[in-house]
Order: sequence, then C-alpha cells, then structure tokens
Amino acid sequence: MREELLSVGIDIGTSTTQLIFSKLIIENMASSYTVPRIVIVDKEIIYRSPIYFTPLLSIKEIDGPKVKELIEKEYHSAGIDKSQINTGAVIITGETARKENAKEVLTTLSGFAGDFVVATAGPDLESIISGKGAGAHTYSKEHNTSVVNIDIGGGTSNLAVFKRGDVKDTGCLDIGGRLIKLDPSSRQISYIAPKIQELIEKYHLGIHRGDVVTKEKLMPIIQLMVKGLMQSVGLAPIDADFDKLITNKSIAREERPECISFSGGVADYVYYDVAERGPIKDSFQFGDIGILLGQAIRNSPLYTTMQVVKSTETIRATVVGAGTHTTEISGSTITYTKNTFPIKNLPILKLSLEDEEGGEAILREAVKRKLQWFKLDGDLQKVAIALQGKENPSFKEVQAYAKGLVEGMQELIQRELPLILIVEKDMAKVLGQTMYYELGYKKDVICLDSIKLDNGDYIDIGHPVAEGAVLPVVVKTLVFN
Amino acid sequence: MNEQDLRKMVEQLVEQMISKEPSVVGSDVTISTTPAASTVKAASNETKTTTIDPNGCIPDITKIDIKKQFLVEHAKDKEGYLAMKAKTPARLGVGKAGARYKTITMLRVRADHAAAQDAVFNDVSEEFIKKNNFVFVKTLCKDKDEYLTRPDLGRRFGPEELEIIKKTCGNNPKVLLVVGDGLSSSAIEANVENAIPAIKQGLQMHGITVPDILFVKYARVGAMDAIGEVTGADVICMLVGERPGLVTAESMSAYIAYKPKHGLPEAKRTVISNIHKGGTTAVEAGAHAAELIKTMLDKKASGIDLK
Repeated sequence: MREELLSVGIDIGTSTTQLIFSKLIIENMASSYTVPRIVIVDKEIIYRSPIYFTPLLSIKEIDGPKVKELIEKEYHSAGIDKSQINTGAVIITGETARKENAKEVLTTLSGFAGDFVVATAGPDLESIISGKGAGAHTYSKEHNTSVVNIDIGGGTSNLAVFKRGDVKDTGCLDIGGRLIKLDPSSRQISYIAPKIQELIEKYHLGIHRGDVVTKEKLMPIIQLMVKGLMQSVGLAPIDADFDKLITNKSIAREERPECISFSGGVADYVYYDVAERGPIKDSFQFGDIGILLGQAIRNSPLYTTMQVVKSTETIRATVVGAGTHTTEISGSTITYTKNTFPIKNLPILKLSLEDEEGGEAILREAVKRKLQWFKLDGDLQKVAIALQGKENPSFKEVQAYAKGLVEGMQELIQRELPLILIVEKDMAKVLGQTMYYELGYKKDVICLDSIKLDNGDYIDIGHPVAEGAVLPVVVKTLVFN
Repeated sequence: MNEQDLRKMVEQLVEQMISKEPSVVGSDVTISTTPAASTVKAASNETKTTTIDPNGCIPDITKIDIKKQFLVEHAKDKEGYLAMKAKTPARLGVGKAGARYKTITMLRVRADHAAAQDAVFNDVSEEFIKKNNFVFVKTLCKDKDEYLTRPDLGRRFGPEELEIIKKTCGNNPKVLLVVGDGLSSSAIEANVENAIPAIKQGLQMHGITVPDILFVKYARVGAMDAIGEVTGADVICMLVGERPGLVTAESMSAYIAYKPKHGLPEAKRTVISNIHKGGTTAVEAGAHAAELIKTMLDKKASGIDLK
C-alpha cells in the first residue's frame, strides 16, 4: 500500500505571500504479521510559487480579493484543481495576523483552497511550522542535538527550539526586516513600526519618517534588534528593551541550544558571505533594512559563537512547513462509526491526569464540569475531548474509561453534537468500540489515537485515507490579535 | 538429553542443599541466598552469629526496564544514548567488566532465558481454564516432550476430543474463538483475559456472537484446521502463545482464517503477532481482530487473498 496526498501550503506573511504544492507519501510500515502502522514516509515539493508582496488595502487591512486572485493564478499555473487537494494549511503570519480582517480572509481562503485546507494563525504554531520548514527539526533529530531556529521575516522573528526532533519551546519577537521601510533609490524612510519608533526615541537615535538615511545612521537601531535576538537565546542579559520586543513570549533561557539556524527572508543575508560571494551591491535594494539586519546578525555572537546550521529553506521555510509539516496521520487502529469528515476547527478539552486516573466517577464529573467551559451564551459548542490514556490497559480499565466518558458526555449527546475522542496512547479502537457499545450503537463515535494535544489547540480531521484505516489530522492554533 | 530430567535433578540438588541447613527449613528464603549463606558458615567456623532474615530477598532484576537501564560508565552523551535505547528492547549500553558483561547483565540474560523456558515448559493452569469457562480439549500429544518433537500430532485430535469440539461449537458456526497454549503458556495467561472480551464486543457490534471457547492443550496453529474441518466454521480465530524470546516470554499471536480445513496453505492465514504489553496491547489487538473477522466474513477470504 502506497498512497499520495496532495497538500497545499499558503503563507500570508507581513511582507510576502507564497504558495507551495507538495506530495505526502503514506505507507504501511508494519509487516503483514502485525497490526498496520501507517505513516507519512516521504514529502516532496512539486511546485513553488513566486514570492509576492502581500497585497494590503491599508496598514490595517489585507486586500482579500487580491490575495485570492494570486492564489487562483498559482493553482492555474501549477495545473492543479482544488478538488485534487487532499490536505494543507493556510497560515497567516507575523504582523498580517494582527490585521482587522485577518480572520475573514483566512476562512475564505481555506475554503477556497480545498475541502480540507486548514486555516491557522498564532505565533507559537508559526514558529514550529517555520522551524520544521527550515529543517531544524530534522537536523536536531539526525544529529542528536538541540537547535534553535529563528525565522526572521518582515515583521516578526519566530523562535523554535527543537531537541532530538521534539519541539521544546517557542517564542516570538517583534524584530523583522521591514519594520523600517524606505525608498530604494532616494533612501527616504516611509515607515517605522511603532515599537521601533519607541526604541529610537528612547535612545535618541534621531531617525524619523521622511528622513533620508544612510547605513551608518541606521546601524544603532539594527544593533538594538540584534541585541534582542541575542537576549532571546541567552547570549546577552535581559533588560527592559527585551520585554518590549516580545510579541507574546520568548523561549526559556536556562538551557542554551547547541546549534542555531536562520530562516525567513532576512536569513538569506545572514548566510550571505561577502568574502565568498562579493560585496552586496545595494543594501537598500528591497526598500527595507532586511539586508543590514541579516549582515549584522552574521557579525554578531549569534553567528560567531554558536554552532550555525544551514537551514534547508530560508524565505520559504514557513510556506514549506505549512505545506509539508502540518498534516499528521492518526494511529492505525482507530474507531469511527460514520464518515462525517472533514470536521474543522474543533476546540480541545484536555483532561488532566488526575481526571483520568481517579476512575469512572471522577472522569465522568471532570468531563461534565469541563464541558461547561465550552458554553457560549449557555450553548454548548462542538468540542473534542483529549486524554492521555493508558500504556497497557486491561479490558476492565477500558470499560471504566468508556463508561465515565459516555456519562460525562451526556450533554453533547442530548444536543446531538458529535462524540469525538482523541487519545495519546494506542487504545482508540477498543475504547471507541466500547463507547459505541455503551451507547447501545445509537450514537456515532469518533475515537483517534497517537495524537498529542493540549488545551487551547484546535484540531481538523480530514477524509479517511489508506482504505479508511487512518485519518489525516492537523493540530493547530487560532490566535488573532 | 531431557529437559525435564535435568530440571528434576537440579531440584533434588537444591532440596539437598536446603535440608543441610536446618536454620532455614520451612522459611521462605529464596534458593539463591541459601547456598551463599551456607558457604559463609563453612568458610569461617566462628561466625555462629550469622543471622538470616527469613523474609529477605534480593530485588527482582527482571523488573528493571531494560530500555531505561544504562550501564556505560563515563558516557559522553548519556541522554542521547538513552534516547536511542528508548526505541529498542535490545541490550545496548550495558557497559563491560574487562572483556565481559557486567554481572547484572549476565544475570538478566539468564533470568530472561529462564522465563522463556518456563513459558514453554509450564502448562496453562487448570484454575485459569476454569475461571474463564474454557472447554478443555487436548491434541494427540501425550506430553510436552511429544508436543515439542512431533508438530504433526499438535494439529490433530482423537475421536473423543472431536466429539467435545462438535458439541461445544455446533454445526457451521459463523465465528469460533479458540485458545491454544502453543509455545508460551505465560502469553496465554497474560493476554487472553483482555483480548477475548475486546474481540467479543467488537463482533457484537456486527451482531455476531460466538459459542463457548475451546482451550486446546499442546496446540499447534494447525489445530484450528482440524477444528474447522469438524465444525464447518466460517472463521476461526485462534489465540496462541508465541515461541518466547529474551525480549518477552508473554507474546501472543492471533491466527485468523476463513473456513480453515486440513491442508490449508499458510498464506491463507491472517496473523496479528506480537501481542504483549510492550507490543500491540491485548485490548487493541482484540478490537482489531474483531474487525478483521468481520472483513473476512464479508469478503469470504483470509490471508493474502484479503490483500
């Protein structure tokens, strides 16, 4: 059995919008003598769009119709129809996620791009996606080490720490190549981002909108940005400036990662070696400070004292991550009694270990109590219940789980909402069957495993693949500011 | 060269050693500590004050999780090694004493080997069979020795046993569940009580019920063919103990076949192997087996015919 999933990745960033198509190849890796184990074995990018500037209506609004037009054009030039798309993600990143109409644009696009194309936003997920797209995650696994990837885009720098292939931490700073924009020929400043403006004023750097500037004039503010990045990985002590630059949170500084990699548009100029490739012709050719920032990072301890890993993607890291690293495959022994997929934007109710370990009654009460959190104006919403499960449960333990869950979920049943369970440990088939039995085969059940979730996550579940054995799943966040 | 005789001999030897040491008779001192204690006494006659804790015992080394045990001294990257070890039950990172294994590694190999031997030579207990309401039958083998040396006899039943099988299973049952000791009685005792209710429940989802469950002593997988022959069952699912190894002595397989008969090619059996606590769990394997059985009934095929 070998099956291909066609996946699309769309990244609408602060400065650029891009698209890729890729093939995810899934295969049963188990021998014929055991239960199946269907996994993604390979990923292959088959089409990369040009890099477009993100169309904006104003400083506060994305030009939705224009973005849609771009994407339509790219589908056409790739010769791909949206009906062929099996999975994928549209991610809205950086400052763009903070635009007033970010949410509508995203929802329209995800529907437009394909049936199971997931809409996602949020700095933590963005960090993970770009880090994986940059290859930092694979590098950390293959070299048995820890890597921090910094994806420096137009508006934000996303940090992701990977240790031996696992995501350890994420962070995001308001540092980017297009926080100051200027005219490439006249070098007159046309835009300064508010946080940068504050720093300029604090240090009396005398840089204003409308000024015609030189590289030397801009270097002090660029060095402040570099300092922020150094502080984030523990190369410089924290000060008040750093707190100001944090978007939502930074990474823990206790354990400094062994390696560092860079992605995002600015990374091209972090890796640019003047000695090897000759001097940069015009540092202002893109009408921003990206090149200066990149080179300043190259000359800083970030590059000179840490072990630098060359990322596999730079400016395309996020779009590659969105296209190839968002879709997961559920465990191969699962239960779903009816095919009602895709199911999108399911919020997660994650039970605590105490909820799970206390037996049937405690589980029941915990589910009942926590379901109340998901009431909007007194009305219960669709929700998926996530739990850890047991390593090697007895049948009696499975029955206790099933009974506790079914009774706890009575309110969902009364409101005819779907019953969706997601377990971390491999026990979904038996748990789903037991719940179905407890429900007298009258209410459909979806029970998946081998997916790790947390409170605050959302999950999208796609059409079954591999002859119905597994379900594609995208775990995501939806954070708009 | 007979394992059973050898075992008897060792048992006698150990018994003699215990009876020489009056202070421990009747106590539950573990065998391994006794010779050690008496050696101490023989070595120095003055140490009359040696005290023996009758409840004392050495820790059970087989309880240590090998995947987490790391014995290399001064390792450069212990954490990295452990991350690697987490992926395999192989005895990696065991360190060394000179050119040899460390004592604990050597003892563990022996302990695991002993567990594997016990799994083969012990029988599934009568209480276990009774507790689970299994119907007991036996193949043509007289004893373990014959069972091990004559696989052909482990696939056949005498006329009386066939009568019991017919009576238990009825004519042309849709699905039969059979338990066979196979090469590991430990596997059966560890897994069937969780696997069987999962299979039954899974089948019930499709309105299928099963008659009483047969327990076959001295069973080879082919015994299911003999049962299929006399009952005319559509599908037989046989849970059987796998040949134990050093990783686990508790691994069970579920062999499932559509209309098994004598001479059934092996390729027509579907198997779920490695059912144990470190592999596919018994409950999940049971739920999966139920679905496989349903598919076989629908497609009237099993083994490679199902692919």
